[in-house]
Amino acid sequence: MSATIALLGQPNSGKSTVFNALTGLRQHVGNWPGKTVEKKEGTFTRNGKEYAVADLPGSYSLTANSDEEVITRDFIESGKADVVCILADSSQLERSLYMMADYAGINVPSFLVLNMADVAKEQGKTINAAALEEKLGIPVIQISATDSKKYDSFFAAMDRAITQKSVINISGLEAALSKVEGYESIKELIPEGSVKNVSSMWLGVKAIENDKLVVDQLKEALSESTLGQVDALRKTSGGALATGNSKFVWIDELLDGVLEEKKEKVSISKLDKLYLSPVWGKPAVILTILLGLIGSFIPALPLMGVGSAIGALKGPVANALAGAGVSDTLIALICGVIIQSFAYIFQMLGFVFGVLLVFGLLEEVGVMARISYVFDNTMAKLGLQGKSVMPFLVSFGCTMGGAAGSRVIDNWGQKVLTIALAWAVPCGAAWSVIPMLSALFFGPGAVLVIIAILATMLLHMWVTARVFGGKLVKREDRFGMIMELPPYHKPKWGALFRYVLGRTKDTFFRVSKVVLLVCTLFWLLSYSFVPGADPVLFKIGKVIEPVTRVFGMGWKLFMAFIASSVGKEGALGVISALFTDGSFYTAFSDAMSGAARDANLGTLLLANVSKPEALAFIFAITFNMPCVVALAATYQETASAKWTARIAAYYTAGALILSAVVYHIGLLIW
Amino acid sequence: MNALIALLGDGHARTLWMLARDLGTTESDVKRQIDYLEHIGMIRKVIGDGVCGSSCSGSCSGSCSGCPSGGSACKGCLPEGGFQNMGQMWELIPQ
Ligand SMILES: Nc1nc2c(ncn2[C@@H]2O[C@H](COP(=O)(O)OP(=O)(O)OP(=O)(O)O)[C@@H](O)[C@H]2O)c(=O)[nH]1
Repeated sequence: MSATIALLGQPNSGKSTVFNALTGLRQHVGNWPGKTVEKKEGTFTRNGKEYAVADLPGSYSLTANSDEEVITRDFIESGKADVVCILADSSQLERSLYMMADYAGINVPSFLVLNMADVAKEQGKTINAAALEEKLGIPVIQISATDSKKYDSFFAAMDRAITQKSVINISGLEAALSKVEGYESIKELIPEGSVKNVSSMWLGVKAIENDKLVVDQLKEALSESTLGQVDALRKTSGGALATGNSKFVWIDELLDGVLEEKKEKVSISKLDKLYLSPVWGKPAVILTILLGLIGSFIPALPLMGVGSAIGALKGPVANALAGAGVSDTLIALICGVIIQSFAYIFQMLGFVFGVLLVFGLLEEVGVMARISYVFDNTMAKLGLQGKSVMPFLVSFGCTMGGAAGSRVIDNWGQKVLTIALAWAVPCGAAWSVIPMLSALFFGPGAVLVIIAILATMLLHMWVTARVFGGKLVKREDRFGMIMELPPYHKPKWGALFRYVLGRTKDTFFRVSKVVLLVCTLFWLLSYSFVPGADPVLFKIGKVIEPVTRVFGMGWKLFMAFIASSVGKEGALGVISALFTDGSFYTAFSDAMSGAARDANLGTLLLANVSKPEALAFIFAITFNMPCVVALAATYQETASAKWTARIAAYYTAGALILSAVVYHIGLLIW
Repeated sequence: MNALIALLGDGHARTLWMLARDLGTTESDVKRQIDYLEHIGMIRKVIGDGVCGSSCSGSCSGSCSGCPSGGSACKGCLPEGGFQNMGQMWELIPQ
């Protein structure tokens, strides 16, 4: 074996590509002893000489934080490699030269390969490798590792590095490091040669960075008093922040005159000027959400039509079944429960489809990320951290997801408050039931209902934060988040529609199960099997009605409200069962007698529920507790039965109060 | 990088573009600082490519730290496959 080459580079720098190009099939993949990290070794022959290649595990730097880094360090310091090939990504040199800067100070010969030349060229970057070589004192070449025919310059650089034993010139780095407090004194205290193959500069830097391996090595190499001095100096130095700064300063100096690129202007798009504006950001985002919700009514219309058409089937089907001699009870079950439920479900699906489409689109093009940015600062006003914004956004899909998502918040009080507030965000199920009921009762006025609900949501969150905030969160220093917003891009319509249709289908099956189950149950309880006798549910209903009236709901709607605590769809099931005029006989005989009673559920509901009642009901179920699953998730995340019960009771009471208030406002309007 | 951290002290969220503007540098320089700060454990990703919503599919197989382990209930309820394009967020780790 004439020489061993080690490949060193950050993940995705192209090490594997180079390794494969060099060794071809002559490679062996195993594990590093005692570690689960992959070990790749291979050989190649050139000009009659055989070379060994080791692909070192990719890592960000050489600081001993992970198994990968420890393996790499051991391998290099042990001197097993005759030459180290350092890989960097030409398309982002400022970042990827960090590995080289971290290697500087190690005395094992090296050469630098600036990979991804093609990508850099595409970006309009030109790199003067010769000038960089001049500054660094080691061979530097630029290649595209994927172009396996063009490795001549690679081999030439390798040969030069081996014969010249080229080591990185660190004078520039030392100059930058001299600004780090304590660095020079520490370096003085560590004699050259304390650790094999590395310089005292390198040991000093790693000591400041609190590198575990170096700290141990110094314990062995230095006398106790020297070690004490080093430790004291380390504590007052700026740590890894300071040395990191110096390395970046050095990298920038190296790149000066080496890297030519179009000056990156600090600029943003017009749309971002609006969304990210401190003044206009919030109104713009709120307007976007509103327009989105209104827009979601449009794709909902066709399915609404399907729902109504299904509802209209009740009469003809009842007729046909009666003609075929089917029993009245069965007819009532088929028409009253099954057809009725599906009529509702399809109307609802229209809105599920519409809301998913519009919000999927907003996310896809990158607007949703801006929304989370804009609301970050609102979180502070609620006493929450910026990251609470994500659980809230997720809660628009599912409160349970929001509760689970609050796991990113480590402070327990903040977490509980986040969950408590997330309950106020209407979830996906609410967003399908509410627009549908609103459209049914208020026609185009549904838009106003939606706006009122959003406004109430914000108010609710604000009040809830006041109610629970005091006990849960202490005023504390708050640090801002860093957000990397995705660039705006055109939507991928195919993927979007597949996502929306898939989700609509899932919702269809889930909702159908709940609605049919609840509807059947309530229908059985409300069906008079003995003609003339009042069914159980009616008896109960009559008793509780005086109380439920206080909240602006008749007993039927109140039962639907109760069912909505289990799941918002449950409310639809109850409505579907109870608003068939109690006994199906009347509707049925009307239909038979040709009185053309409109079997459309909309009309049926409208005839039985006044507008103020409807409005009260819509608010009641929207701000009721989201569902049992969310309740369970809340318990799981807060690990407190007391707080879970407290939040649930608060929401139930809150929903009833809201209902009463809205009912009375409704009475003033209509 | 001290300047970047000092900026976050006012509690306001910033995008990379804002950081670049406020620090008088470029976005790629800001990105490199973020890389480094993340590496040395000064900041951490809160929610990245896999926000809970999207990684819920992952959570159901138990890979997402932010999601419930027995997350069978989230299926069909959470916008699975949603929240893919939310960018990334980092927060300061209290030292
Ligand atoms: N365009 C272009 N792509 C490259 C080049 N070199 C490597 N790649 C691609 O970059 C990706 C990463 O390359 P790898 O060789 O796997 O990188 P690595 O350093 O081994 O990465 P880890 O295995 O994560 O440590 C692959 O998809 C390569 O095909 C290049 O010169 N130009």
